[in-house]
Amino acid sequence: MSPVKIAIRDVGKVFRVRGADRPFTALEHIDLDVREGEFLTLVGPSGCGKSTLLDLVAGLTEPSTGEILIDGRAISGPGLDRGIVFQQYALLPWRTALGNVEFGLEAKGVPRRERAERARHFLGLVGLTGFERRYPHELSGGMRQRVAIARSLAFDPDVLLMDEPFAALDAQTRESLQEELLRIWGKTGKTVVFITHGIDEAVYLGQRVAVMSSRPGRITEVIEVAFDSREGDLRADPAFGEYRHHIWTRLRDEAATAHHEEATPVG
Amino acid sequence: MADTLTTPATPATPATPATSATPAGPTASAASAASASSSPSAGLTAPGAPDRAAPPYGVRETSAPGRAPGRGGVLLARARLVAQRVTAVLLLLAVWEAAPRAGLVDRVFVPPVSEVAAAWWDLALGGALGEHLAASLARSLSGFGLAIVVAIPLGLLIGWYKPVADFLGPVLELFRNTSAVALLPVFVLIFGLDETSKITFVLYACTWPILLNTISGVKTVEPLLIKSARSLGLGPVALFQKVVLPAAVPTIFTGVRLAGAYAILVLLFAEMVGAKAGLGFLINDAQANFRIHDMYAGIITISVLGLLFNLLLVTVERRFSTWRTT
Ligand SMILES: Nc1ncnc2c1ncn2[C@@H]1O[C@H](COP(=O)(O)OP(=O)(O)OP(=O)(O)O)[C@@H](O)[C@H]1O
Ligand SMILES: [Mg+2]
Repeated sequence: MSPVKIAIRDVGKVFRVRGADRPFTALEHIDLDVREGEFLTLVGPSGCGKSTLLDLVAGLTEPSTGEILIDGRAISGPGLDRGIVFQQYALLPWRTALGNVEFGLEAKGVPRRERAERARHFLGLVGLTGFERRYPHELSGGMRQRVAIARSLAFDPDVLLMDEPFAALDAQTRESLQEELLRIWGKTGKTVVFITHGIDEAVYLGQRVAVMSSRPGRITEVIEVAFDSREGDLRADPAFGEYRHHIWTRLRDEAATAHHEEATPVG
Repeated sequence: MADTLTTPATPATPATPATSATPAGPTASAASAASASSSPSAGLTAPGAPDRAAPPYGVRETSAPGRAPGRGGVLLARARLVAQRVTAVLLLLAVWEAAPRAGLVDRVFVPPVSEVAAAWWDLALGGALGEHLAASLARSLSGFGLAIVVAIPLGLLIGWYKPVADFLGPVLELFRNTSAVALLPVFVLIFGLDETSKITFVLYACTWPILLNTISGVKTVEPLLIKSARSLGLGPVALFQKVVLPAAVPTIFTGVRLAGAYAILVLLFAEMVGAKAGLGFLINDAQANFRIHDMYAGIITISVLGLLFNLLLVTVERRFSTWRTT
């Protein structure tokens, strides 16, 4: 088995909320190992703390408790070893598609000449050849997201952290981008943490699916997903349906308990 | 007040939809060929396919909405627009010409425009107009230029350091709401009636719109952009240079354009109060000595000057913010 790439050790995150007397616990006792080269999906209801966890792994915020290690070393802030695709497309509106991909390369200190070439290559990889000179507002939502993906791939991080990147897309576009992503992952061997609230998407993409519950956000189960073959329509595979149903039941039960707890005041 | 000067950003250049679909380089073409074979769905990465198939997102309308003109149609539409605008101005001039002649207004106080034009021409030929114009322009541009040099860096600094911005906020708000014109007597007291007082006065009036817009431009940068830049490991300096500054440019320019209008407006006022040259002086002096034609000549000059100045600034502004969605 490949070595552990990301180790999340008993991580908790507490937010101080203005106007509230008690702090808000967004995450509690998160324990998760992501192996090198693994494609892990993280599924959970809206507001359960998925983005919060991703920010922590990205090094954009610090955990209130516990620690996060990458390659065995505690992380200290953001770094180019991790590429992030945010839930909302975070493109610089004054830069073209090419310029946006080059942005990450500038941060890495890639020489100017090489930058354009590499940016072009990665835009091609996500199917955007011919759109290099468009500004974000001249691109569709799906295209913008692909630019964001190209940007994260271009500076060649070991880890790709993706926060519901396909959530805002139509089914067709989403499916083709999912395939695209799997293909790129297969080619580059990166470690991917992919957040979604779509159960289908989680099962389709992930080698393992981590299921989260809310209030406070916890990981309730990690499911190994394995198919005999990925040929043909995977979603029609009976095994796919079983995984899907299993996760669905798990999430529904969680939702029911959460609802119940809310109704009966504690403390 | 000056808010009326904020014209909506209109498309500057017609967008050209990409038409060539050449694969970038050897690596890229290999990659897209590989992807084309493995992703049959929707032909997402098939070389040559995407740009032709894609709808022209964000192609900006260059002509009147509701029409789909060709090249000739665009020209025609543009000509029509120009004609429309010119017509309104011509109409105004016609009224100005006809009303005094018809006796609708006293032609001693409002002479027909043709007589005013003749007087303007005489003033221009005599060199007096040029002198006054030069004097006004020198003051306006010095004050305006100094305001840019002072207010933009200051605004960047204040906007970037949140505590400073919060600390200075109330004071800035107070000054913003104090009309510069109300402070003219103070300037005269301190700096006297010479050039210094006028330039400082313009500088003062121009500083506020630039300063306040710069501060708000820096403060309102989309937090997600900052987050995304931070995730790339950008330090504070690079973050400022590559994200905050470019994001703030359009807002800063709005301030500069407002200041441009003020530069002429308040100077005129200062020149009317105490000066021996300048368009404000010309207008006031002509009125006092009952040279009504010259007075109107001065007024026309100032309004054309204001128009041209604003046009220039709008053009520059557009060049700097082509990326901004309308
Ligand atoms: N900066 C913050 N201050 C206070 N509370 C926060 C902050 N950020 C997030 N939260 C809270 O933490 C919880 C988790 O938020 P998070 O954005 O991680 O959810 P999510 O799982 O990504 O949801 P979604 O699927 O809708 O994106 C929410 O209840 C949210 O209100
Ligand atoms: Mg989220």
